[in-house]
Amino acid sequence: MWLDQADGFAEIFKGYIPYYLLVVFPIFIIMSPANPVAASHEFSVYRMQQYDLHTVPHGCRSASFNLEGRSLTSWSMSRHCVVARIQDITIDQFVEIRSKAGALLLVLPNNDTILTNEQKEHIQLLEMAMMQQEISIPVYFAEWTPDFDDIIKDLQHSFITDDKSGTALEAMFNTVSSNGYQIVVSAPNPQRLDSKPVTIHGKLVGRSATPQTIVIAAHYDSSSIIPDLSNGADSNASGAVALLELARIFSRLYTSASVRGGPSLVFVLMSTGHSLNYFATKKWLEEQLDSTDATLLQDVSFVMCLDSISSGPLTMHVSKPPKPGTPAQSIKSRLHVPIVHKKINLADELLAWHHERFSIRRMTAFTISSLQSHKDPSRNTILDKSSEGSLRNLVSNIKITARGLASHIYNLTDEENKEDVELYDNALNVDEAAIRHWYKYLSSQPRAPQIITATANGGVSAALERALSRYMEATVSAHALDRREPEYTLYTPTRAVLYVYSVKPAVFDLILTLAIIAYLSLVYFVIQFFPRFYEEYAKLVTGKVKVN
Amino acid sequence: MTLYHFGNCIALVYAPYHMAYKFSGISEYATFSKCVYAGALYIFTQLCKMLLLATFFPDSDNIQGGDYDIFLEILKATVDLADLLGLYFALNSIPGKGHAKILTAAIGWASAEVLVTRSVPLWVGARGSEFDWRYVRSCAESNVALLQHAATAALVWLWTRSDLPRRHFPLVAALLLLTPYRGLIEDALASVLSLGAWALLGVRAITATAVGLTALAVYAVLAQQIGI
Repeated sequence: MWLDQADGFAEIFKGYIPYYLLVVFPIFIIMSPANPVAASHEFSVYRMQQYDLHTVPHGCRSASFNLEGRSLTSWSMSRHCVVARIQDITIDQFVEIRSKAGALLLVLPNNDTILTNEQKEHIQLLEMAMMQQEISIPVYFAEWTPDFDDIIKDLQHSFITDDKSGTALEAMFNTVSSNGYQIVVSAPNPQRLDSKPVTIHGKLVGRSATPQTIVIAAHYDSSSIIPDLSNGADSNASGAVALLELARIFSRLYTSASVRGGPSLVFVLMSTGHSLNYFATKKWLEEQLDSTDATLLQDVSFVMCLDSISSGPLTMHVSKPPKPGTPAQSIKSRLHVPIVHKKINLADELLAWHHERFSIRRMTAFTISSLQSHKDPSRNTILDKSSEGSLRNLVSNIKITARGLASHIYNLTDEENKEDVELYDNALNVDEAAIRHWYKYLSSQPRAPQIITATANGGVSAALERALSRYMEATVSAHALDRREPEYTLYTPTRAVLYVYSVKPAVFDLILTLAIIAYLSLVYFVIQFFPRFYEEYAKLVTGKVKVN
Repeated sequence: MTLYHFGNCIALVYAPYHMAYKFSGISEYATFSKCVYAGALYIFTQLCKMLLLATFFPDSDNIQGGDYDIFLEILKATVDLADLLGLYFALNSIPGKGHAKILTAAIGWASAEVLVTRSVPLWVGARGSEFDWRYVRSCAESNVALLQHAATAALVWLWTRSDLPRRHFPLVAALLLLTPYRGLIEDALASVLSLGAWALLGVRAITATAVGLTALAVYAVLAQQIGI
């Protein structure tokens, strides 16, 4: 009887599976689309910053990957993509991942959770460490979502490890119950971006016979590890907003001949800042100084650069201490700010402050900033977001700067009568609504060089140009990079779509096959025993033995 | 997940149907064409039902966040009575003994259902790299569906018999009337007891078995009476 059944079982595979299926089926499989499934999780992610500066590579060099997701503690080799919260990863872990893992996916903090100062400091330091040198593995950042939180928790508590479990049964059970994640990003290879940095400048002509000029400069790009999230509220939306407000105040004063100041004022907005070594400033200076009909920058009395002025009281950064009696000394005393002196170090990869570009061209220049040091990590961080506190600081700092500048231009002294003070207040009143508007606008826009120098017409540059042209005639000059040896190179893509597939290990399918075979043999025996069961059942129901 | 996983699912769907056809003895009657005929009737019945639903019922699938209208759902389930009519025609057109008729109609009917409703999602879903228990579950569900359809076919056959004992007629009729609403009742039970998908499958299997055994009992009584 057992043999009979075995025979019957073999029958299934004998005549009843048509052999032409062996040909048709593979053709069908080949013809059908390669990956027809939609992932259950789909996220928009940001790629890490990538650029070359003076042909020295920085940042992440690759874009696509298809790897198994692991947590910080369970990853072990280059076939794993490490998924972690940005707060959780230490710099040492990062260094190890950079050299050994296959990819890195960091989840940014949830907006709702307020980071402690320690965490903020940690993230800033991590950003700095990540940007130090090039990374060959793809690095992506994702914004926090509940789904991501679940995935991270799942990965942390996942039992898929290469260690041996207690028993074979336990290991088997783990394989069935645990969830794995396959993480896929298919993005185009990093490509050079056609970058066209611009400089916007405008001039208010003074009345004095000697063409003395005061230059006020600020860069309006921002820098952080994620180009698409570089909002840079303090660095340097604050400087650009201050420059616009100063332009508004002084354009009003300069329109009427009676209160026009002596020196001419030149307002300059640069589209590349400290992260790209003030390239736009360098090019702009070359154009203005080295061309034959250079009249804009004649007899510059000083250059005032505004950089990150919304985080506290101001400091004046100089590369040469101002001598008594010079205009720089005069403005220093009128602003009542401490001086920080730092010599220019041309051996460094990056210039420290914006004014150094001007100082190299032998102009008197200084930077007004709230920061004490150019190494402050808050100049290059994704955490540089707008806040009400910063806005208040910014307004008061703009007031101080406008006063200092005006008192220098009109050569006023502190001893004044009350009426004068009132007039003065009236003339130099800052427009808080406008400041708020521009501050909010700029700090809501990602302003990484990749974004603002790539869009030729439109975007932040165009908005700023229109704003400046309300007060004076604004000129936009575009700069070209050196063809053979570009001063810098930017790369795209800056964002991608990430798919997360939940998967099971290969062994799982084998176990499933065994289970299905067991089930099918059960069905087989049930069908085989059905006639006997029916006989018994009929007897039970009718109470009689079957007649025939 | 992979092609291998797809193979697993196919085995789970196909093998029980094949075994039911092969080992129940109906293959000896050379009724394969009748199976196909029953399947065709299934598809035709579904088309008629769709036509009815599309004509007389509001389109509730596109209403987002609408309330669950029990009355409407019951009305919709009532349309499934057409299935019984379809099965009746299928049974009528198949010659042979009672059990052969029932099994042929049920297997043809259920195979057509698997082919039409489950094969495409399976082909698309189970081969992708994403793993989901849903596909394995749907395959197991198709096995339960076979049992359900066999029970329903048996009930329809019993109902058509004029020599069915009087006292059994109400039972058969009640079970037949309940058939279209069985899915609804099971879903309601699952949501009341907050059962998971696997538990719901278990409930379906249990009800299908219970109905099947009842039908079998009535069949046994009838068979005893008329001597088949």
